[in-house]
Amino acid sequence: MSLPDFGFYVLCATAIVLLAAQAVIHPGEFVQVFIFGLTQGSIYALVALGYTMVYGIIELINFAHGDVFTLGAYVGSAILGFFAISEGGFTTVNLIALLLVFPAVMLVMGGINVAIERVAYRPLRNAPRLAPLITAIGMSFFLEGVMFLWHGPATVHFPDILPKAATTVAGVFFGFKDVFVVVVAAILVALLAIFINRTKLGKAMRATAQDRDAAQLMGIDINRTIAATFFIGALLAGAGGMIWGLYYNTVYYQLGFRSGLIAFTAAVFGGIGNIPGAALGGLIIGLIAAFSDSYIGSKWTQVVVFGILIGVLVFRPTGLLGMRVPEK
Amino acid sequence: MVRARGLIVLTTATLVAFACGGTTGGGGGASKGTIKIGSDLPVCTIGGQAVSNGVQFAVNQKNAAGGVEGYTIQYQSFDDCRQGAYSADAGVDNVRKMLDDNKFLGMVGPYNSAVAKAEIPIAAPKHFVMISPANTNPCLTKDIAGCAYHPQDLRAGNANNYWRVVTTDDYQGPAMATYAYKTLGIKNIGILDDSTVFGVGIAGSFEQQFKSLGGTVAKHSEYKKEQTSDFKSILLGFKNAGALGVYVGGTDDQNICIPRKQMKDIGWDAPFMGGDGIETSDCVDQASGNEPNIYATSAGADATKVDGAKQAIADFRKAFSGPNDFGGYTMQAYDAANALMAAIGRAVKNANGTPSREQVRAEMAKTTGFKGVIGTYDFDKNGDTSLKIVSIYVVTGGLSDAAVKDSTGVCGSKTKNACFVWKTQFDFANQGLHRRVRVKDQERVLRVEDAIRLRQARLVLCSPKSSEEAAFGLLAL
Repeated sequence: MSLPDFGFYVLCATAIVLLAAQAVIHPGEFVQVFIFGLTQGSIYALVALGYTMVYGIIELINFAHGDVFTLGAYVGSAILGFFAISEGGFTTVNLIALLLVFPAVMLVMGGINVAIERVAYRPLRNAPRLAPLITAIGMSFFLEGVMFLWHGPATVHFPDILPKAATTVAGVFFGFKDVFVVVVAAILVALLAIFINRTKLGKAMRATAQDRDAAQLMGIDINRTIAATFFIGALLAGAGGMIWGLYYNTVYYQLGFRSGLIAFTAAVFGGIGNIPGAALGGLIIGLIAAFSDSYIGSKWTQVVVFGILIGVLVFRPTGLLGMRVPEK
Repeated sequence: MVRARGLIVLTTATLVAFACGGTTGGGGGASKGTIKIGSDLPVCTIGGQAVSNGVQFAVNQKNAAGGVEGYTIQYQSFDDCRQGAYSADAGVDNVRKMLDDNKFLGMVGPYNSAVAKAEIPIAAPKHFVMISPANTNPCLTKDIAGCAYHPQDLRAGNANNYWRVVTTDDYQGPAMATYAYKTLGIKNIGILDDSTVFGVGIAGSFEQQFKSLGGTVAKHSEYKKEQTSDFKSILLGFKNAGALGVYVGGTDDQNICIPRKQMKDIGWDAPFMGGDGIETSDCVDQASGNEPNIYATSAGADATKVDGAKQAIADFRKAFSGPNDFGGYTMQAYDAANALMAAIGRAVKNANGTPSREQVRAEMAKTTGFKGVIGTYDFDKNGDTSLKIVSIYVVTGGLSDAAVKDSTGVCGSKTKNACFVWKTQFDFANQGLHRRVRVKDQERVLRVEDAIRLRQARLVLCSPKSSEEAAFGLLAL
């Protein structure tokens, strides 16, 4: 065991012991906070997947991804406005709107992300790696600007259309919303795993990620495969944006900056380029954020989360489940 | 270019002044001449225009009654809007224009504290009287902790030239603390602030008063808008520490009312309280699904709740009948204009002719027992009114349509008929801030016609005020 690895395990073990102590002393509160973390973490996981897929295939940290996620919530809110939804309770119209709008937003965001890739990243495919990173940051500001012009700087209301049912089990309070977030996120991650591992396009993605030139020689259409990666990443980001909106009912134009950074941290935590790692990293970062909010104080949460980013990069650069990047 | 334009404006103003002065002099006959008073307000907004109307109304009444000691008062309203919102630069330009015209002996305004901060240093060396009907930032008159500047620095060693007829924000926290502890019976509370100068200040003054009354603060947490979207862990912390309510220090543009919504997400039903930064329709919308029992304070009396103002309001409505003509600060502006004209009158008597600005300023400083419509009050040496009234409002859901008209008109747009309703007011006059305060429980049934007026007023007034304070806080940072 190397020294960095040892440091990493010591940190993890300390955190787990401290949390376990809390779980024993105040089990009710612990479980409640665990649920908060699980719901936040599910959303971070969906966003982190987009980061990790893009990094895996073209080694680009797509800083615009967080804003694609936020734009998903804006688009969802706009499309929902066309339906006679009720915010007071759950109606049939709400259900129909949800079933139609959810996939629609995912597709719209997929389309937008493919366009972003075509405009901002593909022309720089063979440029130094710093160049697409800069256009990614530019795209991030561009999307934030669009949302700012669309709705202004104020917080935008997202329709509250989910059932409001809630219950208390053994002193732990949770609602339909909480279950909805976790279940939908889990389904989407499962579908992604099946897609990557069982389909031809998924295989092409894995091949491209491993060795782009060899994949091209084997007859894989690189541009199409990369576009598909951006498309799928944005499907998940769009779903994340919808879930965020449905869960929190508020969104503002700069949300993607912070959420994006946290999701990026989650992707690095799980091992950038590693798909199960991103999902797991998102969940864990969500839990850490919730526990930090409760046991340390919310003003420290940002410090804790980005401290983890530094810690992972120093002690275990490959992340929890190991990096999956092309071997050079 | 700027200079040239200023010159043109100045020339035009002088020409207009000559033209108007001539007309009044010729037509008035008995008039000794003309004295001008100005106002500097964001009249591009409905709230600003409603304040200007109050000044106009006071001047019209005074002139109809023979003017001030034989002088006709001429009122000119200056607009400090730029691109649809108040601007300190525009306000400074306006004050310079007034200073350049010797006939201007004082002004009513400004409306926004940030504008006052920029204008006082220009006006003070010229002894130009400013009376604000709406500024509530305590830093303008009081040298207290948390301010980014000292009031004496604004005046640069000159005698005070700035007064205001509304009280200051530092009474908001103590008022709500007393209301929570005594009226709502909440002995244990969680405090959350948004880390802005305004939010930290108001939360601090709440905490101090709440503790001095014997209350317990379960936890005091803070957050930053760009870092926290999920408040559930913080709220759970409050709840588990035994809090029976939440006090927030902050403004709606910092998402201060999202925790209200999330209280429902953790199944916690308890009152939610804050300052005027949450008395907005944006706040009610952020809390959508959990609007009722949001309590908010506002510095200053609600004119429609003051018996003495009833007659003046009725007269005003006859002269200004438009639906948006009356606002939450119209009667304060009416009082400010009358206080200014009274000082001018005394100065005219003493000078036995047209007084200087310094003479008017000195008379204004001597004002005692001023009989305004919102009360009878003095001004202290800092320029603050002795009338220290803070109003308390509460969001009530499921109001009937008639009751909505009765309310302040600050309603949510997501849930039907959930609006802020006037609840009571606190009078801190003649009492120390942290001593016991007298509670005037006047939960009288609102008269419909009063409420309709207030409704239109509050709709426009509250949001700009809160964002002003937020912007001011940012400036101070």
